[in-house]
Amino acid sequence: MAAAPPYALYVCPCSSLSSTTLAVHAKRASAAPADAQADEDSTFNSHDPRANYALYPLDHLLFCNECDCIRCPRCYTEEILNWYCPSCMFEVPSSQVKNDGNRCARNCYDCPICTSALTVAALPRPSETHLNPNETEQGRYILQCGYCEWSSLDQTIEFSKPTKITEQLAKKRKEQRRRKPEDKAVSTAHGADQVDGYENLMAFYKEQLAESGDASNTYSSSPYSSPANLAKIMSLYGGLSVNALKKAREKPQPMREARTDKEGLQVHSLDSSAVDEETVRRLQAVDWQDTPTHEQRFSGPLNHQAIQTNELWPVATPLRIRKGKRCSVCRQFLSRPEPKIPNLRYKIRLLASNYVPRLLLRPLNASSTTPNPAFRLRPNEAEMSPLQPNIMQQYLLTVRNPIFETVKITLATSSSTPGKVSSRVTILCPSFTVGPAGDVWDEALSSSTTSVATDDGGRQAAMASLTGKSTDEADRQPEAGKIWTRSRNSTSIILEVVPGALKPPPSIVPKSDDEMLAEELTEDKDVLEIPIFVRAQWDAVEDTDASASAGRKHERRAAEGEKVRKELAYWCVIGVGHIADG
Amino acid sequence: MSRPTPATRRSAKSEYIETDTGNKISRRSIIEGKQNIMLGGKSVVMAGAMLRGDLVRKPEKMADGEKEGPVTAIHVGRASIISTNCTIRPPHRISRGRMVFYPMRIGDNVFIGPGTYVSSAVISSNVHIGTNCVLSAFSVIRDNCKILPNTVVPSHMTIPPGSVVGGRPARITGEVGEGWGQGGGGEGEEYVEGGDLRALVRSIR
Repeated sequence: MAAAPPYALYVCPCSSLSSTTLAVHAKRASAAPADAQADEDSTFNSHDPRANYALYPLDHLLFCNECDCIRCPRCYTEEILNWYCPSCMFEVPSSQVKNDGNRCARNCYDCPICTSALTVAALPRPSETHLNPNETEQGRYILQCGYCEWSSLDQTIEFSKPTKITEQLAKKRKEQRRRKPEDKAVSTAHGADQVDGYENLMAFYKEQLAESGDASNTYSSSPYSSPANLAKIMSLYGGLSVNALKKAREKPQPMREARTDKEGLQVHSLDSSAVDEETVRRLQAVDWQDTPTHEQRFSGPLNHQAIQTNELWPVATPLRIRKGKRCSVCRQFLSRPEPKIPNLRYKIRLLASNYVPRLLLRPLNASSTTPNPAFRLRPNEAEMSPLQPNIMQQYLLTVRNPIFETVKITLATSSSTPGKVSSRVTILCPSFTVGPAGDVWDEALSSSTTSVATDDGGRQAAMASLTGKSTDEADRQPEAGKIWTRSRNSTSIILEVVPGALKPPPSIVPKSDDEMLAEELTEDKDVLEIPIFVRAQWDAVEDTDASASAGRKHERRAAEGEKVRKELAYWCVIGVGHIADG
Repeated sequence: MSRPTPATRRSAKSEYIETDTGNKISRRSIIEGKQNIMLGGKSVVMAGAMLRGDLVRKPEKMADGEKEGPVTAIHVGRASIISTNCTIRPPHRISRGRMVFYPMRIGDNVFIGPGTYVSSAVISSNVHIGTNCVLSAFSVIRDNCKILPNTVVPSHMTIPPGSVVGGRPARITGEVGEGWGQGGGGEGEEYVEGGDLRALVRSIR
């Protein structure tokens, strides 16, 4: 888990690890009824090896408002909206991606050694002409890496102009291949010519296709272009069948295969001992650090067969994509960014954080609010001290409501946390209400806060929060069944945690090796994580037609009013901190 | 626009000098060429941070009688935070035998972690930069990016919007979630990475 505690991770109900929400139950009842029932009773184990695949921070989760479900990367589908080069930020049309591959065809190149972007740099003029530049003299340019000092001079490549690098590079490569015929034998046998050979084959087959005459494509301009459509229409209107028609037409010249080297034919010779010797001889002359790593060799097709690092060719920058995300159940878009590449804005974005109550944990008697660990302002800022085992700690658990209805929250957790180190957890007030979210002005203009706070014992807390620090704040004791504080759309309760000891108490009986092994802690097992099952219920005013047609089981229509009871349930894992050793 | 210069509340000897537009500048920060630095308002420069506003492009020729006006070297947007021991240095390159400095632009709600060296050309808005990073000359960081701690962004690198970047040299390791920068404003969690940082600015004093 990458995040530093305290953090909250949410479990998407789609995973079979967690118990499913009722909505998913209804949908998947046929799929795995027994499984789901078994899951319902078990506690989510955050230390399970599979748990990492189900836990997400809230900002990575989406919410489908049609299905009333949380959607995670496992239960939404992604589709490519557009391709772009991350370096020059130009969009590449999909046709070009199909033809030229997913690499930038402009001037963007990456360093073959360290993958950072290359820049075109001008070589300084020789000193005798430095102050007297000749107009006819062409400039000399190279590709240069700003990180590892690699430059195209390593490959003795210079360019005459700073633009059209791709064409100039292709020309240089051809020249280089012609210049070194002795390498050719080696590289051909090893398939370094694969790229060239592929290009030749492509050209050859394109020609062949053009020559064989688009027999199958006579109707390409008409709506009958697809053979299936044509067959259907032909059968509808009788007359000749498609096959008969095909036969009737003049038979085109059949396509032939590549025959010569120029057409892309490469003959593989089984006897490669001479080539192997040559390769070994070359490798002997190379130091180990001058041989390319796997990553470097797989950076681009031209580098697959490089034996030395100085044979590596600059890599055209791979394109990136922008994705739209659809709910895999109802196929509606959950997120769809705008097509403009240079900035990231969304046309559609259904965030889980706008639908799912958010949980936040912090120590009760901390002097200040615990800073978000990502916002460390000073280098010497103290890290969170580890938790002392077997000493009861009190935490404030704040539940924030993002929706515009008052929500009834029920929290549940097992009395001891799962995993090797079991800590005891008590939620002092497991059932409470959280007021609706809304405009801040709503609160200011109408005194809605007091009406919200009239529920179970919340008045005092509300008054305390309204008046700021109340006098008896300091000596206030947490009570079971009472909420701690309440504000407009959030409620805080007390959580009591007794961290377990990392090592069991010493025993007199000597342990077997297996037991010793079992006691050994693996990475991140000393993190105290509390799985909490959150169930939120609220009455939503909903369009009756929509709810009737949707036919969701968990929505009971309350009388004739259009109020519909809705429910959302999910597991949330809260990381409290590391437990001190000893 | 305001300059970080005159201390409006010199009497109260606090750590930060607050300007009329709400910028907070630590008394222990090192600021050179302050006439060339623009802070958008509600931005923070913390102790030990160094801003090199003196590194500007010198005008080619001075016409007679024309006075040299202030040139912007560093432009910082609103509610951006430059934490302790950062160095903000406009990028330069040698052009026609002369060292030429280029202005640097930092957007709104940008958090720059402690000990980071910044020489980028552009940092767009809602960017979160971790501790001890190096952002080399002329790097361009688009909006909604997250730069992990101890990253070295090579020079002239462009980071597309919404990327998570890490490593030496920096590589794009992932994408930020759709909810990047969303969800702040609640009690106890007023600010999130990439979100509105005004609450954090308010808490610094």
